[in-house]
Amino acid sequence: MLEITNLHAKVDGKEILKGVTLTVKPGEVHAVMGPNGSGKSTLAHLLAGRAGYEVTKGSVTYRGQDLLALAPEARATVGMFLGFQYPVEIPGVSSMYFLKAAMNAQRKQRGEPEIDAMDFLAWVRDRLAKVKMDIAMLHRGVNEGFSGGEKKRNEILQMLVLQPSLMVLDETDSGLDIDALKIVSEGINAMRDPGRSILLVTHYQRLLDYVKPDQVHVLARGRIVKSGGPELARELEEKGYGWLEAAA
Amino acid sequence: MKIAEAIARLPTIEVEEWRYTDLSGLAKREFVAAGPAKPSLPTLDGLERVAFVGGALAPTVAPPTSGPGALPQKGNLSQNYDSVIELNAAFAQTGLALDLPANTTRTPLHLVTWFGGTPEGHAHLRHRIRLARGASASIVLHELGDDAPFFATQVIEVELAENATLRLDRIQRFGARTTALTRIDVRVARDARFDSVGLYAGGALARNDLNVALEGPGAQVSLEGVLAPAPGEHLDVHTRIEHRAPHGTSREAFRCLVPAKARAIFNGMVMVREGAQKTDSEQHVDSLLLAPGAEVNAKPELLILADDVRCAHGATCGQLDEDALYYLRTRGLDLPAARALLLRTFAQEILNHIALEPARLLALATLEPRL
Repeated sequence: MLEITNLHAKVDGKEILKGVTLTVKPGEVHAVMGPNGSGKSTLAHLLAGRAGYEVTKGSVTYRGQDLLALAPEARATVGMFLGFQYPVEIPGVSSMYFLKAAMNAQRKQRGEPEIDAMDFLAWVRDRLAKVKMDIAMLHRGVNEGFSGGEKKRNEILQMLVLQPSLMVLDETDSGLDIDALKIVSEGINAMRDPGRSILLVTHYQRLLDYVKPDQVHVLARGRIVKSGGPELARELEEKGYGWLEAAA
Repeated sequence: MKIAEAIARLPTIEVEEWRYTDLSGLAKREFVAAGPAKPSLPTLDGLERVAFVGGALAPTVAPPTSGPGALPQKGNLSQNYDSVIELNAAFAQTGLALDLPANTTRTPLHLVTWFGGTPEGHAHLRHRIRLARGASASIVLHELGDDAPFFATQVIEVELAENATLRLDRIQRFGARTTALTRIDVRVARDARFDSVGLYAGGALARNDLNVALEGPGAQVSLEGVLAPAPGEHLDVHTRIEHRAPHGTSREAFRCLVPAKARAIFNGMVMVREGAQKTDSEQHVDSLLLAPGAEVNAKPELLILADDVRCAHGATCGQLDEDALYYLRTRGLDLPAARALLLRTFAQEILNHIALEPARLLALATLEPRL
């Protein structure tokens, strides 16, 4: 279970999050929606452990552990995965090597042996098919020269390969055409199970037609101003965010 | 001549080419001729080893038929004669002398030069490599040593006749208290080609001069390298490529990875002489500063006296990409592993050009403690 309690955070001295409280139980999918500048990406990166954020109040725990006390790599080891809004290009580091290094780093931290090379290849091939990516792409540098949609599919591939238990997907649906959106959604749905929690951070309701959330939260000006069922997303699509921002 | 006299004549920092590399400390020390040493020397699969220990041919190795161990003639290539060559010529007793007849090739050579054993010792080697018309050879120069405070010089004279090709890849990892001056002078005749990829990974102070003269039309040279000093070390690579004839091609790519308190110097001079039309020259040097207190001096220099040439150069200097580090960490790699991965990649893009696989793997393994 992910528990965010009264989270306040500053970036460059400016308060961006002003008391976010949110609980995602195992097996649940929550969506955090909101206008640009509402603090969605700050929340996502804060959960993943990016440097440069100052938490001034509140807490974040996952499975009872203080998540904020952990380095980004330690959060990955306890099951956290952030799908980046803007995945980083790392020229020269082959995706295949990167995936294997990531998987073995996490296994090592958990005291598990390194994965057998053939087992790993089979594991990756199976997941590549799910996101309709060609293995040739994995011989290129990480995200090197990938289109926007390819980068997002690569995020989903990494998620499927690493099998995290807590997924925060930051605008993974932005900039995708419908075909790519379906592929990404199928990837997310494949990860839904009673042991896993998913937090979808999104600007658009469209993703939620394919991935049905258990709860929808609206983040505006650093606070969650409204929570509800999937119907809230539809309401937002029709009315926009203005009515809620005014209320915040 | 005594060693102290020769040292007193070495260039000072008032000489432009030596402004970043100060040899004045050598004059305050008393060096003695290196005595015998018996280090364990590495081998590389598929290469014929020729080893020199402390300035002498290693006795455990039979000299190959092509003539290493003979004292090369002095004074043949004195166009850039200076006090380093003078010192070396006065004290070098031996070195590799390789003469390849026209249109022949040979087993790749693993030229091991090991300096150390005697505290405050000094030793010198002078090698000569001549490839006749159409000959081709591949040499891996492997420069090593132990932790004894030591002073070493090496001079390598290379002459490539028409259409000859030589690849001289290098793995340089002297001991942490070694001062080493290495000078390579290469003359490249018409349509001949010289390639060198080097890993420069150690020595208290290691200065490398690579001077290449493209003397005939269509001559080509490629010089590449990675400078990876340990903290406290000073690595200096000076290249000088002279285009003396038309249609010459030169390529240079160097990368520096510099930790705290270390210094890397790259100076790349490209001269295009009058009449060297259609010269095609490119030079890149990219540096990563890994900690506060790291220092890099990277300077491309172009001197062009012909009017129909293509010459490009670029230098970049930066730090590891924080976004890339963060991305790797969110996937589970810890900070040291993420840094090492990015640094390894940065260096490998050069070192992967080392042609012989055993040498390439050795270079990568030698680099690993620097990451």
